[in-house]
Amino acid sequence: MTGTNTTLIGKGTFARGVHPPHRKSFAEDAQIEIFPTPKQVIIPLIQHIGAPCKLAIEPRVDVRVGDILGEAGGFVSAPIHASINGKTAKTVMRTLPTGRHVSCVPIKADGEQLEGQALWDDVFGGDWPTTGLEKYKQEEIQKAVSDAGIVGMGGAAFPTHVKFAKNDKKPIDTLIINGCECEPYLTSDYRLMVEAPAPIITGALLAAQAVGATNIAIGVEDNKPKAIEILKKAAEGTPVKIVPLKTKYPQGGERSLVPAVVNRTIPTLGLPLDVGVVVINVGTATAVARAVLRRKPLTHRIMAVTGAGVVNPKNLLVPIGVSYSDVLEFCGGFKPDAARAVSGGPMMGFTIGDMDSPVTKGTSGLTILTHDEIKKAAETTCVRCGRCVDVCPLGLVPTKIAMASKYKAWDTAKAYSLLACVECGSCAYTCPASVPLVQLIRIGKALMPKE
Amino acid sequence: MTITIILAAAIMLILALLMGYVLGWANVKFHVFVDPRITAISKALPGANCGGCGYVGCNEYAEAIVNDGADVNLCAPGGDGTAEAIAEIMGVEIGSSIPSRPVVHCSAISSQRLKQNEYLGEQTCTAANLVAGVQGCVYGCLGFGDCIDACDYHAIKIIDGLAQIDYQNCVGCGACVKACPRNIISMVPFKSNKILAVKCASKDFGKEVSDVCEVGCIGCKACAKNSERFTMDGNVPVIDYENYDPENDSMDIVLEKCPREMLIWVGRDVS
Repeated sequence: MTGTNTTLIGKGTFARGVHPPHRKSFAEDAQIEIFPTPKQVIIPLIQHIGAPCKLAIEPRVDVRVGDILGEAGGFVSAPIHASINGKTAKTVMRTLPTGRHVSCVPIKADGEQLEGQALWDDVFGGDWPTTGLEKYKQEEIQKAVSDAGIVGMGGAAFPTHVKFAKNDKKPIDTLIINGCECEPYLTSDYRLMVEAPAPIITGALLAAQAVGATNIAIGVEDNKPKAIEILKKAAEGTPVKIVPLKTKYPQGGERSLVPAVVNRTIPTLGLPLDVGVVVINVGTATAVARAVLRRKPLTHRIMAVTGAGVVNPKNLLVPIGVSYSDVLEFCGGFKPDAARAVSGGPMMGFTIGDMDSPVTKGTSGLTILTHDEIKKAAETTCVRCGRCVDVCPLGLVPTKIAMASKYKAWDTAKAYSLLACVECGSCAYTCPASVPLVQLIRIGKALMPKE
Repeated sequence: MTITIILAAAIMLILALLMGYVLGWANVKFHVFVDPRITAISKALPGANCGGCGYVGCNEYAEAIVNDGADVNLCAPGGDGTAEAIAEIMGVEIGSSIPSRPVVHCSAISSQRLKQNEYLGEQTCTAANLVAGVQGCVYGCLGFGDCIDACDYHAIKIIDGLAQIDYQNCVGCGACVKACPRNIISMVPFKSNKILAVKCASKDFGKEVSDVCEVGCIGCKACAKNSERFTMDGNVPVIDYENYDPENDSMDIVLEKCPREMLIWVGRDVS
């Protein structure tokens, strides 16, 4: 298996795309710190794409880390677990940065907590075998992943066990672990690859086994040479290949990653599944390894707190449900010129309206932007220069779709595949007339009548 | 010379007679029968083409009355006068129709909405509704005026960031109801020119409401306990307009018991 691999024939990059400044230097070299157990966590009952969870506990009961709080509300759903030891309270409503208004379970910290190095060892430390994993069967891995409530940790939070489901019609031959982290500022995946490569490799092997893939690749952008080197070393003697990719946004999107690694094009409105590929994030891979080998649910994640507007940029291992304000306080708070807090990165992240809202499974970072960075140029008229067409990684015509959305011309919007847009923002980034293209497309998606 | 003129005149005359005959023949041969009642009803309708009746334009509504027996009192801009005129044309009786008018189920002006953030995106409610944190309340009026754009009668104004219906101008076409992305405008039967309305749409409870709004309904049920006209729908009361009699039902006790400011009189006679 370790010999030449004929299917990883991608060119290491994709067509079109943009080159925003990386701005990773803020927290790039900051070693992951263990966030001390907060006084309270507020855990949303829906943190994923799919059906909301059913509340599974009473108010005012003692819970331990890993106890189930919400049961999956359907197949495309994921259970929610307690992330600290403590006492639950009555559910409260919180608005997440994504705009979702959701019911949440607050837990007040109580009693002994796993802290510092012990917590790190519990999540990422210890021994991660790369051999002898054959004993775990597909059903077993899928069930463990499903029970652990694992969702895509790159941001979209799609339940991972759905990707692992048996599918005889569309056989999978390739598993790609997404270590691109093409979003500017964010450094959480990078630090994870540098500091905990072993569980990534183990998770990749287990995930490949679950989907029946024989080719396993970890795609990493070439602006992270240290991560590539460390992962290569960790993957020695395993079938896992590390594939350096050209640094370009949005290299980490499935539709950019799959062509770059295996030279297959995902059909418009299709999934990687349609071309025999499954893609999961590096963070998700570690969660898979932990769930299968240690039977531990997804309760903690790495997040970057970064940007020019935060006093001490850091990478943190945080319990799910900690509030953004607690995390920010730990990093020294806002600098005087801080202007906007974003959940995720500046290209695809969501502006945070309420700093008391909780960190979820899909939160890859907290980026604090300054006044200079959020300056908005005056919007002028589209001059039909076509630059948005030149950069759209999907080969769409953003200006046409955006104008169709603005003027509610749904036939045109549909003809130009409005729904195929992944909202990467390359078009709006490049537009010389500062037309808010991706924003208009988002409005179009919300308004277009459903069939 | 003279001959040329006479010849030309003669040819024109013959042509005119010939074509006149063809036109006359075509008028008889290809005559399309239009029910005179449709023409009459079209004339009686205001011609606003607002679509409030549920048909595409006044003409189609006129056809629907004659051909499909549609109700004669559906025209909101025309009101009772038009309904009577149509009833006379059709030779039917009409019961007294109660006009429906929109109510905005939010009473918080901008300064009463808490946890607001500066919003730099597209200045429409539809766009603002897609992002979190424009204001704390996810149910209430956003105040960018999508409803104003939808209204053909200048009957909505944004006053202090809150959509307010001008019942003098409103004809009840319902266009604003469809335009609101938060679905907080509903059509309510106005039995009188002054009725009570629940001006809050928050489905949240107690502290969660008071955290984000100074006036919104906290779901305390005081109104439902004191008046049978109120029933609770989740955490927000609804008024039973079927049985509500604005002339005789006293709402004093309810208004006195309500600890918030979202039970509000609306209508033409409210100063």
